[in-house]
Formats: sequence, structure tokens, C-alpha cells
Amino acid sequence: MSAVLTIDNLYKRFPIAGSKQVVQAINGVSLTVEPGETLGLVGESGSGKTTVGRCIVGLIEPTAGTIRFRGTDLAQRQQHKAKLAGKIQLVFQEPNESLDPRMKIGDTISEPLLPLKLDRETRRRRTADALRLVRLNPDLLDAYPSELSSGQQQRVGIARAMVTEPELVVLDEPTSALDPTARAEIIDLLRRIQNERNTAYLFISHDLSTVRFISHRVAVMYLGMIVEQGSAETVFNRPQHPYSSGLLSSVMLPHPHLKIESSVSLKGEIPSPINLPKGCFLASRCPFVIDRCRHEMPPAETVGERHTVHCFRHEDVAASVPASDTFNVFMKEAERILGRAGPIGVAPSLQ
Amino acid sequence: MSLGAAEVISKTRNASVGGDKPPLIDIRNLRVTFPSGGAEPKAVLKGIDLAVQPGEIVGLVGESGAGKTTLARSILGLPPSPGRIAGGEVHFEGRQILSLSESELRRLRGHRLSVVVPNPRAELNPLLKVGDQIAAMAKIHLGVGGKEARRMALEILREVQIPDPERRMDAYPHELSGGMAQRVVIAMALICSPAFVISDDATSGLDVTVQAQILALLAKLAADHGSAMLFISRDVGITAHFCDRIAVLFSGEIVEIAPREPLFLEPAHPYTLMLLAAFSHSPKLRDSWSVPDTGRRRERNAGCQYADRCPIAQPVCRTQRPPFAEIGPGHFVRCYFPVRHA
Repeated sequence: MSAVLTIDNLYKRFPIAGSKQVVQAINGVSLTVEPGETLGLVGESGSGKTTVGRCIVGLIEPTAGTIRFRGTDLAQRQQHKAKLAGKIQLVFQEPNESLDPRMKIGDTISEPLLPLKLDRETRRRRTADALRLVRLNPDLLDAYPSELSSGQQQRVGIARAMVTEPELVVLDEPTSALDPTARAEIIDLLRRIQNERNTAYLFISHDLSTVRFISHRVAVMYLGMIVEQGSAETVFNRPQHPYSSGLLSSVMLPHPHLKIESSVSLKGEIPSPINLPKGCFLASRCPFVIDRCRHEMPPAETVGERHTVHCFRHEDVAASVPASDTFNVFMKEAERILGRAGPIGVAPSLQ
Repeated sequence: MSLGAAEVISKTRNASVGGDKPPLIDIRNLRVTFPSGGAEPKAVLKGIDLAVQPGEIVGLVGESGAGKTTLARSILGLPPSPGRIAGGEVHFEGRQILSLSESELRRLRGHRLSVVVPNPRAELNPLLKVGDQIAAMAKIHLGVGGKEARRMALEILREVQIPDPERRMDAYPHELSGGMAQRVVIAMALICSPAFVISDDATSGLDVTVQAQILALLAKLAADHGSAMLFISRDVGITAHFCDRIAVLFSGEIVEIAPREPLFLEPAHPYTLMLLAAFSHSPKLRDSWSVPDTGRRRERNAGCQYADRCPIAQPVCRTQRPPFAEIGPGHFVRCYFPVRHA
């Protein structure tokens, strides 16, 4: 199977106005996304996740490295315009800021179809299909964004991305502005669309619990590098990079007894991406640090199937806490606490 | 090996939960209304009763629009404009706060009672060095001299674990990262050792690792200073690890309040179950606690505010407001048919 997206050794530097210094936002990112697959891209603010997403959709030009979509080098995006049109889409974080308040919902959704040069009838049909896909009432075609709840607005954002039937959708924190119920609905929706259309997702988020449930694979970013990537289950159950482990231990599940164990407690701030340290970027915050880490950047090591990690001591990190599938334990607990008391099961007399 | 933030938090917490002591702050039947354009103002807080013990951290969860921020601000006598306090009392250190004059209230806020808000940049004066802004709190409220105020500011910056605090004293807000700016705001709220701190979603914008550090810090400071906290959050998960008790706010009412274990392990109000189901990643669980949205406007009724969204509502729920009943030790729920767990 050929990958939908292949990124090879991507770099992005931003010059700082009035200075010779540069912000080293992406420092050698390589990843692949297969058809129908979700790759969760996680990391703290400033780790470069959004910059990677923006390079893919062409909002910014990378400094070095290649991004290929189905084998086509996106540096030659212009030459392949017709072939690429509508194939890669982006969903933004803030639905109310990314929708034009003066445009009707129907027009917003159909706008990405304009470059596809479809006839009017096809456009109308595709727009109606997209609306159905995200389960919005067709009455809303003539509504304005301000008349919608933020959950509905984000459905519009998704419909607008899906209307061109893309093969890859970059979702940049699509649920972080939403209330829990709206968030859960959007996640369900994205999974359903993926099952129906085999769309590949790059799901950028700092909400690790959501990433765990929506992603097949996960890539952990720190200071513009992917420090670890692998299947969501492997990385979450037994992280091999100290940063992945520390990040996971900060997850707070809504269950007072369930906590992800880690031997790493991340203290202090992320170093500045302007003056990156020599050697491993985590060395100053890492309890596993050895002298070598301060001089030498650990190379990517393959530790399993499609599982790579940049750490000299990944074996020690992996062995420092027992592997545990806390997220699945949590789901079983939720089932036990919330499930047996379901309105149909527990209160038949009330029905 | 070092402990995770939540372990530090739970260790500090378990030791400090108050027993039968009189509450530090006692909110009684607090009602806030907003003008609605019609004859009847809209009730945004519909009679909040909440007492917090010394040393206790109480979580307040609910979705946007439930009234969380209105409650946070009304406790300080500052309901968000154009809201007004329509009734109720807030007893704190022997005084009824809502009957104090504006100048008495000003002396209390930031001194004995503080609030930490999200969006720290909006709170800080961009033209003043952060050290001076923090020190100003001590000068105004504690009447200490400039030198002593600066010493205290430096000490509290250290306590909130700002890296390189001496240098940060002279930094301007724009030179700080979001996490550091949030810590500065927390330092300002804590410098006078307030007896009661309200955190209004103050950590939700932070990265998870920074958030864990700030929470551990707030818990430690609360334990060290014997202060209590109302911790308002959209993130229900945090409260499961950080709070002694959790109150669930829906449509301006506390529908359930319980110590953290019963709240998460034996939730009783259908709204609480719906909210927890939203975090379960199980569409099946969510479906069993939701009613399909018909899209029609929900009518206000005399009964339970949740009746129209409740999958187990009965006719009585729409006609009479359910009582706030104690179903277990310290576990109260406003529902005629609370969910029982075997």
C-alpha cells in the first residue's frame, strides 16, 4: 500500500525581524500516513505541530526536506494544481474564527468546490452530501455561523473540508475549543467519516486522551522533532522516550484511581527554539540524562514495527515502569460505572 | 524516583481535609439575574448553596453557559455586567461579603480572597515590570514597605517555580511565555496568603505538563497556608485527581455535589452521568445518557432544569423542582430518581 503522505527530513526556520537569529521551528521531521489511517501529532505549544500541518497544506513553505502526497512532491504544488485540487484539506481549531461571519453556511461549505470546475448541479449535490455527512439539518444551508452552536460550527468546518472528498485531512486541534459533549460528538463524526471514506487524518492535538482513542499511530513532538512515533497502543502503553513518558503522566483521566505511571516528571520550561542546545533537546529536563546526551543528538532508532525513538537510553526508559494499558482500563471502568446504570437497564420501571 | 504531580497532590490533600470545623466560606442561596429585555430578568444563578472548609479544594464543573464564571465573580461581589445579585449571602471570616461597601470589598479582594483567571496577559499591565506588579499587591494590602514587598514578590515567584526569578522580576509581561505569565498571575493572587482562592479555569489554556506543575503548586500552597480553594474547570478529569469534593453545575444550579470518590465512582445525577459519558470515548454510553436533540426550543418549566435533556425524566420532573437530597455521606443530588449503584 502506498502512503498518502510521506514527509522526509523536514526543516522550517523563521527569521526574526531585525535580527540575524532564526526560530528553528521544525528540525528534521519524517513521517508517513497511510490511507484510512489517523496519525496523532502531540506535543506542547511551541513544539512545531501546527507548523508541520501548515507546511503540508501549503500555507507555509518548508526551509528544507520534502513532503510528498501520493508520490507527488508538494514543492511542485503549482505544476500539479489540477491533480491536487481538493485532495488535502485543513480543519482549524476555532470554528467561529475560521468561518466567514457574512457567508451563509451553504456557500462556506461549497466554496472549496470552485477550483474543481464542477457544474452547478454537482456542486449543489456535493454540498448537500457534505451536510448530511456531518449530520447537520439542510435548513442550515441558509443560516449564518452566528446562528450555530460552536459544535455545529465545527461540523460546518468539517463539511467544508470533506466536500472535495479529500484523501488527507489535517485537523489542527479541532476539538479543543469545544465543550465535552460537543467534543465527543465531533470525534465520533470524524471516525465515522474515516470508516466510510477511508480518509487519512493528521490529528494535531494536545488532548492526549482523545488522541489515544482516535489515532492508529502517534508521533510525539518536542522542539520541532518527532522524538518517538509508533502505534498509539505501543507508545501509550510503554513509551520509550522520556518525553513521551512524562507527557503521558500529565494526563488526568476522570477517574480518581487511574493514573499513568511514569519515572519522568517534566519540570521547567521548554528551551528556546532560537538557541537550541547541542545534543538532545531534552537533556536539561531529563532524569535519564548521561554525558553523551549533552553533546550528541540521539539518532532515530527503530525499536519495533513502524516504531522509532530518538533516545540513547530508550531501553532503560521502557523498563522503568511496567507497561500498562491505563486507557483501556479506564474505558472498562467507565463501562462499569456508567453502563450498568443505563436508563434501559437500571430503571425499567421508569420507562 | 520522583512522584507525579497528582501523587504529590493527593498526599497533600488527604492530610488536610477539614472535619466538623465551621466553614471558611459559606455561600447561601446565591441568586444572580441578567436583564432579559422582557419583564422577567433571566436567572443565571438559581440559588447556590456551597460551604468550603479550611484547607479544602472544591471543584466546580459544568459546560459553558452553566454559570461557573458568574459564580466565581459573584462570590467577590462582582457579578459580570449587566448581571446583578438578586439575593443570597456569602459569609466569610465572620462577615457577610455581599453587604459590604465597595471600599471594604476592595480591601478584601486580592488580600483575603483572590481569584486567578484564565488569559493572564489580560490581567497584567503591559507597561509595568512583573516584579513591581506583584509587589504592589503586598504594598497595598499588607502595608509593607517597598523593599519588603520586593522581597516577598521574589519569594512568591520562587514558590511558583518561575525559572530564574531574580531576572524575571524585571521582565515585562510580553517577555514571558504563557505558562510563566500564568504563574505570575498566580503569584499575585497568593502573595498576601489569601484564606480563599478561586481559580476560574486558570489552568485550561496551559500545556498539560505545565498544568500539572501549577496544580501541584496550588495544592501545596493551599496546604502550607491552610487556605481553601474553589477550583472551576471545564476539564472534569483534573478535578478527579486534584479536588476533595466536586460540585456539578447545570443551568445555574448545583445538581450534584460529593467527595471525589463517590462523585466519580457512584455518580447519581443523570447530568453528571452524561458529562462523564462524554469523557468515556464510548458512543454507546453517551447515547444511553442523552436524549436526541429535537432542535425545538426547550421550554422553561417549574420542575427540574434538566428534565428536557434527561433520558429518565418522569412527569413529576417537569412540574416540581426536585429537592437537594443527601443520598450518601456528603453526597447530595437534586433529582427525584438518582441513579443507584450496586
